[in-house]
Parts: sequence; C-alpha cells; structure tokens
Amino acid sequence: MELHLGLSLPTNPFLPIGYELKQCPFDAHVNDGAGGCSSSVGGGGKKRTCFDDETRVVPKTLPLLLWNNDQPNEEDDPNDLHDNFSSSSSSILKDDGEGLVGWPPVKAWRKKLRRNVHSGRPNNNRMVAATTAAKCGSTYVKVKMEGNAIARKIDISVHRSFESLTATLMRMFDICDEHLQKSFKIAYQDREGDWLLAEDVPWRTFIRCLKCIKLIRSGC
Amino acid sequence: MHKKMAFSFPDEVLEHVFSFIQSDKDRNSVSMVCKSWYEIERYCRRKVFVGNCYAVSPRMVIRRFPEFRSIELKGKPHFADFNLVPDGWGGYVFPWIAEMAGALPWLEEIKLKRMVVTDESLELIAKSFKNFKVLVLSSCEGFSTDGLAAIAATCKNLKELDLRDCEGDDLGWHWLSYFPDTYTSLVSLNISCLGSDEVSFSALERLVGRCTNLRTLRLNRAVPLDKIANILRHAPQLVEFGTGSYTADLRPDIYSDLAGAFSSCKELKSLSGFWDVVPAYLPAIYPVCSKLTSLNLSYATLQSSDLIKLVSHCPNLQRLLVLDYIEDSGLEALASICNDLQELRVFPSDPFGVEPNVSLTEQGLVAVSSGCPKLQSVLYFCRQMSNEALVTIAKNRPNFTRFRLCIIEPTTADYLTLEPLDVGFGAIVQYCKDLQRLSLSGLLTDRVFEYIGTYAKKLEMLSIAFAGDGDLGLHHVLSGCESLRKLEIRDCPFGDKALLANAEKLETMRSLWMSSCAVSFGACKLLGQKMPRLNVEVIDERGPPDSRPESCPVDKLYIYRTLVGPRFDMPPFVWTMEDDPSLQQLSRANLM
Repeated sequence: MELHLGLSLPTNPFLPIGYELKQCPFDAHVNDGAGGCSSSVGGGGKKRTCFDDETRVVPKTLPLLLWNNDQPNEEDDPNDLHDNFSSSSSSILKDDGEGLVGWPPVKAWRKKLRRNVHSGRPNNNRMVAATTAAKCGSTYVKVKMEGNAIARKIDISVHRSFESLTATLMRMFDICDEHLQKSFKIAYQDREGDWLLAEDVPWRTFIRCLKCIKLIRSGC
Repeated sequence: MHKKMAFSFPDEVLEHVFSFIQSDKDRNSVSMVCKSWYEIERYCRRKVFVGNCYAVSPRMVIRRFPEFRSIELKGKPHFADFNLVPDGWGGYVFPWIAEMAGALPWLEEIKLKRMVVTDESLELIAKSFKNFKVLVLSSCEGFSTDGLAAIAATCKNLKELDLRDCEGDDLGWHWLSYFPDTYTSLVSLNISCLGSDEVSFSALERLVGRCTNLRTLRLNRAVPLDKIANILRHAPQLVEFGTGSYTADLRPDIYSDLAGAFSSCKELKSLSGFWDVVPAYLPAIYPVCSKLTSLNLSYATLQSSDLIKLVSHCPNLQRLLVLDYIEDSGLEALASICNDLQELRVFPSDPFGVEPNVSLTEQGLVAVSSGCPKLQSVLYFCRQMSNEALVTIAKNRPNFTRFRLCIIEPTTADYLTLEPLDVGFGAIVQYCKDLQRLSLSGLLTDRVFEYIGTYAKKLEMLSIAFAGDGDLGLHHVLSGCESLRKLEIRDCPFGDKALLANAEKLETMRSLWMSSCAVSFGACKLLGQKMPRLNVEVIDERGPPDSRPESCPVDKLYIYRTLVGPRFDMPPFVWTMEDDPSLQQLSRANLM
C-alpha cells in the first residue's frame, strides 16, 4: 500500500482554479526526532475542561503504533484486508436481497409511518414497500411479554420457523419451565394494525406482515 | 498594616457578571482563569451539558456544580438511530435521576437524547423536583404513557413536555386527563410520536383551552383533521403547530371551519404533521403561510406540483423538511421563492427501491445552493451525484456549516465520469471553511480523506460509510481534523494501524464508532490497556471476542473518553477492554 503521497494533481477538468493537492500533513512528521509520527493535533489548546480540580497526571503517550514509511506490510495488501473485512463483517452487503442493516440512514420511526399512502401515483409508487421487516433494512422486531413492562427486540431474519422463534423467545424472557412455556402463545400485530395469533398463519405470511410480537398467556 | 485588594471584586459581583455568560464553552474558559473564579463559577452554573452520559458520573457532576437547574444528557451513539446499536446497549437515565433526586430538589429542566427512560424514572422525576418545568425526550425509549401520567399529575409548574421521535408505549390518551383542572402553565407540548388510536379529544381540548400560554402544540397522527379547527380555536396564540392526520372526506363545512381556525392564528410560524395529506385541504393553511419560517412536510406525500403551490405561499421560509417528491422542479421553485432558506432536508420517499421513483437528482441541490444565499444546513438523499455538481455547490455556498449527503446506493460513482466523488467532497471541505458536520456517501477513496484532513479544520462531526481504501484514509482524518469530536464509521476497510497511530487523538474526541470495519480484537485490547481514559467497548452479538483469534475483526467498536472507567451496566454482548492493571489505580481514583 502506498503510504507516501506522491500523487499527481488530479486531472479532473472540473477542478476549481487554484485547487491543489497539498502534501499530507503527516509527511512533515515522519522524520521527527522521536522517530515516530506523532499526531499533530490533540495536544495543547484543545484539551477539555477537567471536571475535578486536582492536578491531573497526563501520561505522555506515544502513538501505539509508529507510522513508518519504510516497510510496506503484508497486512496492507488491499486484497488481504478486504478478505478479512468481508468475511467477518456481520453487516453483510446485500445478503439474500434483504438489504443492509441501517442503510440508507433513515430513522426507524420514519419507516413506520409509511402506511396507507395517498399519493395518487399509479404504478410508480413503491412506497409502503415494507411488507416484510427485512425490506425495511431492519430485521429487528419488537417483542413484548404480557405483564412485562420492558420491550425487547429480536432479529427475525435469523429464524425460519415458529419453533426456532419460540425457542428464542422463551430464552429471552427466561421461561424455562416447559409447562409454563406451553401456556404462552405468540400474537403479532400486522401492518394494518390488527392483532392475530401466529399459530393461525403460515410462517411466510407471518414474517411478511409482521410488525411486532407479543407473548400472551393463553387459557387462564 | 492593610493589604490592599484593589483588584478583587466581591464574589457576588463576579457571579452577576458570569450570569450573562450562557455558553458552556465560555463558562469552561471562565472557570480556568484562576481558582477563585473556578469556585465562583461552579456554584453559579445553572445549565450542565453532558454529551456522553458515560463520560462522567452523576455524583461528579453534582459535586462540581451543586446548584444547577438544567441538565442535558446524551446516551447512545448516533448510529443507534439506524438500528446499528443492539437493544439493551445502555444509556439508562435512572441512575442520574436517582442521584439528582436527593441533591438537587430545585432541578427544573431535564433534556435527554437517545436514552432509556423508564416509567420508574419519570415517576421519580415527578416526585423529586417540586419546581420541575421542562422535560425534553429526544429519540428516547423505555417509557409508557403511565410515566407521562405521573408527570402530568404531579408537576404543577410544568411548562414543556416534548417527546420528539421517541418510542414510547402508548397505552391510550387518558394520561392527558391527569393534568389537574387547576393546571394552566403548559407552554409547549409535543406528542407527535405517540401512536395510540384511542384519543380523548375533550381532555385535549380542555387542556389546550385552559393553558393560555401554550405556544407549541404538536399532535400525533391519531388526531383527525376535523378536530383541529376546534383545537386551534382554543389556542389562537400558537406559534408552532403540528397537525395530526391531514385527511378527511371533502366537505365544505370541514374546510371552511379549518380555514377559519387557521386564519385566527396570527402568530403561527411553524407547521408540521400533515400525515396522509389530502391536497384539497392544503389551501386552508394559506392564510398563515406568509409568516411561516419553518415547515415540516416530511410525512406529507404530496406531488411536486402541490408542493410548489404550497411553497410559493411561503416566501419567508427558513427551514424546510420535505420528501423527495418535491423533485428538482420543486427545488428550483423553492430556490427562486425562498431566499431566506437556511436549512433544507430532503428525505427519500422510497429508500429501499432500486430504481428512482421521483425525478430528484443533484440538480435540485445545485439549484438551492445557488438561489438561497443563507443556506447553511443540508440533509439530502438522492440517487445520483457528480463531482461537477458538488464543486458548483461548494463554490455557491461556502457558508455551509452542515452538509449531509446520502447517495442511496452505496459506492455510487460520479454518474457523468464514473470516477469517485473525492474531488467533489474535497471541494466542499475546501470552500466551506466553517463546516462543522459532514456526512459522506458514494464511491470514495482515501483521497477524499486526505482532502478532509487537510481542509476540514472546523469539522466536529464526520459520518463515513462504505468508503476508503485502507488505514491511510482514517489516518488522514484523525491526524488532520483538529476540531473533530465525533467520528462514526461503518463498512469501511479501516484497520488497526490508523487507530493505534492516533490513540492520543481519541482522548480529545467525545467518541468514535466503527462497525463492520477491520479493527482486530488484538488492537482493541491494546488500545484499552494503554489508554486508561478511554472506554474501548467491543459490541459483538456473535459471542465473546476472545473466542475468536485476536486478529479477527470485531463487529462493532465504540470508543469514548471517560473519567470514570468502564461502566457497570453493560449487556452480555458488550465488552470493555480492560485497562492496564498498573494504571487501574489512576482510573479508580477518578471514579468519585
């Protein structure tokens, strides 16, 4: 990887006049006496107010890694980096067409409010796109348990059946006793705001219409 | 023999002088002049701002400022807004309320952002602060209308109850009736985020009717259009109003009622709401449009022609939030009509569609940047951009302070040249010398970060996604951006080197968020060990990071400076990298 900026001026014809690429500031520090590239910022005037008035011992820390021009590292091989990066990234790019988590960066409540659009546009209107939580870019669904004030959230996309969903919910709310487990039912609210029992619909239908889940006690 | 103290003022005089100094930064400077100024200032500081609730403990704040009346606290990182922070991460306000309850009986204002606020916390607020006046919950969660009922019932002097973008559990509207009949001090009420459909209009109307100082009222979607006229008639003095659902059958009596009610509101400056809007009812607000300075149409699914018609009645607009239905043509109209515009936010109507559903491109933004000389703050979602446009925008508007551009498809190149957008964003930072906040998108290489590090000297907050080639990019930012306080990064190939080379820089910032990057667990550990004044939190729902090799990248990383060491309320999927044991004494000493 090229650490030294011997870049030529950009040849983009739309550059404003006088727009020049300055040398990277860090170049100036490469040869400082300490042999390292100390950060040119962060000292001096930018220190925040201390909250207590005891004299603080400010440890003089060197950067934890010396930024050294001389030794290109194997780690810096961009291919390597990308392998490392993509294989363990959990926010995977376009996984199964389900979309990225949190992208585009639109607040969750804005997505919730896209119901019953009267835009008057015939086919072009792809609003109310959210027929599955996954399409919203967020696969997390709110879960409440009857009698419990705190709502939780689960990632619905990791489940493929009611069995696995139920198991996770039981664990989440610490319902260990089998007998007790059987006394709960999964109810869900669909996109129209209606509450339904999960057991009454096929899994596919369930996740397509699902808005939020509630664990309710059945029978007594 | 007398000692002449010719140059010292009595404390009361200094206190009086300091009372004119409101800004936190100035107050902090004042307190550093000398010990006696520090002492005087700390007793008379009335407003405290804590940008990260985990940077300091409530006890420390109270010890230093024993007489504050107003506190503002922020909890979760900004990316929590986009579901990147798992539930249960933290940001609980209760410990703060508990500490303040005993020590500050005269607390008047609590403003919280991205915190978990339980009903228990609300009840404790209601019980503990006899003169409580202002509660602002911004993007908070964890409470229900039961907690609101406690506030309503108990806080006789409440002036402001503002729930913006909160996720509260709405169990109905009866909490409104908990405001006693004798209660009349309400000045501002924002319940636009509450969801319930069970509305009690009589309670609302009575409340609005008896609170003659009411200036701000933002209703929620459940309030139908035909009820608004009545409400407005009870409060013609309103300055800011948010409608509910702006839809009804087309009936002349409803229309004339509504139009009449709006025309009686001579002070209205700000409108919002407009859910499910029916265009035929829009002209009802025309009587107030010429005075409007702020208009939030971001829920209004109006077509471009209706939007242009509406906007043409509002020449004094300073702030506009709108969906991309406005299209380039609407923005061109806006540019020619609204010359006072300072802030524009254009949201995507179909963020997850692959094809554009509206004709909104970079041209709209170019038009606005050209026609609105006071434009300072922009948030713009679009599907195509070019370096040429960005350079034009930068040259047109060097007074930008906030520039957030979101090109919806990640790594989208300049659509004209197919090149990265480095030069375009480079122009933005070069020309807009006062830029404080920047969000990047599109295809970007390390070069853009070089420009940012070189030019963005006043930049305080930077958001990066799907950009850069490697560590050099991050290094440019951390070593070049002198004013940087908040840096949030997702899905970029930034690894250990830049982070470790700039460890010291992290102590000068409020926080750094990195998710889906390439920072290894080993580097996190090293950083945590060597930097006692940083909390290095690894967030990983896959399980403990030490169950994987040290070179394995962590899923999410949140680093923030703190005076109080690791927090104690972490959920199972968050690990704080421990300090070096020999330095632990130092951090413990700071705990109290």
